[in-house]
Formats: sequence, structure tokens, C-alpha cells
Amino acid sequence: MPSFPEPGWFLALGRLMEAEGARFQRLGFAETRFAVRVIPDEGDNGGENLVGLIIDGYRLSDAKFVGQLEAFDPDFVICARRSVWNRMLREIVETGRPSLRHTLSSLALMGEEMWLESSDQLREDKFYRYNQTLQELLNLASQLPAH
Amino acid sequence: MGSVHIKDEERIGSEAKVKLQPSVYLQKLYETGTPDLGWMDNMAEWGVRAKPGNLGLRLKDIQIGTYGQIPDHGGDHRSMAPRGAVIPEGLPSLGFTLNEKAEVWADNAAELYEEAVARQWSSARDIPWSELKPLPDDLERAMCQLCTFLTEVEFIAADAPTRWMSQMNQDFFEVKMFLATQAMDEARHMDVFRKRALANGGGLGTASVLSELSLKRIFDAPSFSAQTGRLHLLGEGFVLTMFRQGEFIAPSRVDQEIFRRCMQDESRHVGYGTMHLRAQLRANPDVAEEIHEQLDDAERILLETFSIPESVEPMAILMGGGVKNFDKGMELQGQLWRRIVHEYLQRCDSAGLDRRPRCILPTDFSKLVDTPQDAVVS
Repeated sequence: MPSFPEPGWFLALGRLMEAEGARFQRLGFAETRFAVRVIPDEGDNGGENLVGLIIDGYRLSDAKFVGQLEAFDPDFVICARRSVWNRMLREIVETGRPSLRHTLSSLALMGEEMWLESSDQLREDKFYRYNQTLQELLNLASQLPAH
Repeated sequence: MGSVHIKDEERIGSEAKVKLQPSVYLQKLYETGTPDLGWMDNMAEWGVRAKPGNLGLRLKDIQIGTYGQIPDHGGDHRSMAPRGAVIPEGLPSLGFTLNEKAEVWADNAAELYEEAVARQWSSARDIPWSELKPLPDDLERAMCQLCTFLTEVEFIAADAPTRWMSQMNQDFFEVKMFLATQAMDEARHMDVFRKRALANGGGLGTASVLSELSLKRIFDAPSFSAQTGRLHLLGEGFVLTMFRQGEFIAPSRVDQEIFRRCMQDESRHVGYGTMHLRAQLRANPDVAEEIHEQLDDAERILLETFSIPESVEPMAILMGGGVKNFDKGMELQGQLWRRIVHEYLQRCDSAGLDRRPRCILPTDFSKLVDTPQDAVVS
């Protein structure tokens, strides 16, 4: 089983998303291409990871490592250190969702632990337009087998 | 004769003042039994076969041939005859006054309409009300005051643009359809915040003179684009940040769900406003001054609004987690203020409005106490 943030890990979420079907259809469709940037923690020898994701309606249609961000042309990039991502995912595994102040929206609001990058506010606003879908997608991590 | 029983059928028409002559066409039809069928040779573009995409048949999928051509000038007939239909003589005008595409259009209107329809939600069904638990008194009072404010202001984004909606040429129906979803969204926002205020042992707080002044100025805006600048760009952009803040300050999952779902709706409204102003300013750069004047006034009122306790303190209490952490809450509020101003100016940039030199909103929240005298609302 691939681990976060490998594309295979996101694609596994995508398969769960399709299996959930009605749950995501009730939230409504989403159309966005975005990226997840995982920044190494201080003292971490690993490099930065940048994964491009495409949600096309009710399915995650693509996930891949991105070299040139401009070429992928995301609506927005969600950036956080690895420890922040790990904390969110740990909480999701434990309770099915992150704690109230550790959701994507809450963290990105304050912009300290997590922040958005975008060249256009209109495109960045898709993070808010589809936020429930994005969070519910990540919350599916609670259904992935432990590794 | 008929199988459907109509109550008091013998009385129908017994006191009618108008007697209709049977139409020549119907008389002929009943006499000969032969339909006319002339209308079959009088269709608009024929043979159109729109194909659904992976999300069904959307408006963008039927933008085909002449049906997909959005005119720069709306039809002179000023009626509700569908764009692309054969237009007969003698259509009564509905007197539309917004007949230029640039006055109302946004390239994302159809997309946002479809998205809004797909992402509707129900405050009764989708909010986990049963999980609501009693809160400490200060937090409940702060939440209820915030909900009072939001209940008070939200429906302006239905009432105000729909005043203009009825003035829009029907050839720009995509915009009308989007605004109809916006009105529905705002109904739900008014509904959900009122419900929240009344659901957990609290109630409504105090209404606001300054909020009402702000609403009145939106209501009285001299043009649709001027109103859009005031409403969508500043007002809804500001409320969008409040909704995002609402998820952060939410003391419970109930509040979190409410704010997150409202945030999604509000983002669409801001998206329409930004794109409309972009289209309008490209076509009519001179409109910029009118929008600037609206924003000059709207920014002043926003600053005034942030000078009274019922606007400032509930958010600070919720941000800090209680009155005891008021200072921390104010500090967080200050950080958010920078974001509000930053995103507002980014949206102005995106709309093509160079607002930065003219903006009176300080980027530093602490400077709100240094508001110059000439910024006082008159």
C-alpha cells in the first residue's frame, strides 16, 4: 500500500470516493486541479513532495508527482509541513475526521501551519467552493489499511 | 362526459363578463379534423443534438450553434421569448432596462449555476443538530450575536440583486438563473443562522444600525454593476472570510458544518461578482469610477462597523475560546484582518479594478483605532 503523499495513496482515496458514490454526489460535483505540497520538517532529510490532483465531478481522475508546477497549472496549492499533514491524517484515522481546528479550511485560514498558493484569487476560491468535497476526500484515509 | 369530476361544474362561467369567440383555427380543426402543423416549418436552428458530458447534460453542453451565441445587445423585443427561438411580431415588451451584455454578464455564470444546483444542501437534513451540546455562556452568547448579524445581513444578497434581475434582458438568462440560486443560497443562510441562534439555549442578540446602513446602501446602489462591486466584491468577500473564520471558531461540529457549507455557497457569489466586473470593466472602463465611489463608501462603513462592541467582541471571544482569552482572540482577529484586506484587493485585481491606491482599509488591524476623522460615515 503506497503511503502519503505518494500518488498511489491519493488514487486509493479516489477509488474509495467512487465506491462511496452517493455521499459525494450529495455534496455536488467538483471540478478542480490542485496540488498538495509536503514540506519536510526541520531536520528531516527527505525532500519536498509535490503531488498534482484532478477532481472531475465525483471522481479523483488523476494523481501524479509534479515537477514543474507551471506545467500542471493548478487552481491552488495546499502547502504544509509533513508533521502538519501527518497530524491531520492521524486524527482522521483515529476519529474519521480532523479535530475542529485542524481541518483544511481552519488551518489554511490562519495560514501559519498550512497555506494556499495561487496566482489568481478566483482560482484559489475553488478551495472554498469545493471545500467539503476536499475534506471528505481526505477523511476517507480512515478507511485505508494501516501501514 | 369527462372522467375528472370538477366541483360545481355547472356554475363555471355563469357570471363571466367576457364572452370569447371560438377561434377560426379551432373551428376548422373540429370541422375537418385536420391539424394545421404550420408551426413545424417555423422552427429555429434544427437538428441540434446536445450530448451530455460525464456530469449529465449541462448548460455548457447545449451552447451549440446559434443557441450558444450570447449577443452583445439583448433582443429588442424585451420579452421573455427564449434566446434562439423564432421571434414573432407583436411580443409585448417587459421593459427590461439592462440590455447590454456587459451590464450583467459573467463568463462563469452558467458554470456557477450548475454548480449551485448540484451543491444545494438542507439546513434541516445536512446539519447534525442532534450533536449540539450546551456551551459555556460567553461562547453561546457570542455565537448567538454572530448568528444575529449573519441572519440580518445575508438576505440582502437575494433582495438586492433580484431587484435588478427583473430588469435584465432575457437573452442573458444564464445570469438570471445564477442569481436565482444565489437567492436560494441566501434564504438557506438566513434560515440556518436563525435556527442556530434558537437551537442551543440562546436566542437572537442585537441588530445593528451600521449593518442596516450598509444594507441600505447596497439596496440603493445606482446600477447593477455598482451594486455588484459593493455587494459581491466587498460585502460577500468579507462574509466569505467570516464563514471561513466560522469553521475555525466553531465550538462544535454543528457550527463547523454550518459555516463550511455557507462558505462554499458564498464563494460562488464572489466568483460571479468578480467575473462580472471583469467583463464590465473590459467593455466599459469608465464604469471603474462608479465602482470606486461605491467602494469608497462601503469601505468607510465597514470600518465604522468594526468600531462597535457587538461586531468586534463576539468574534474575538469565539476566536480566543472565551472571554478569558479575549486578548488572544483579538490578536487572531488582527491576523485575519490582514487576510480579509489582502483577499479583497486580490479580487479587485482579478476583476481588473486597481483599488490599491484608493483603498482606505488599513492592512494593520490596530490602525482601526486611528481611523481619520474624514472616514466617519455621514
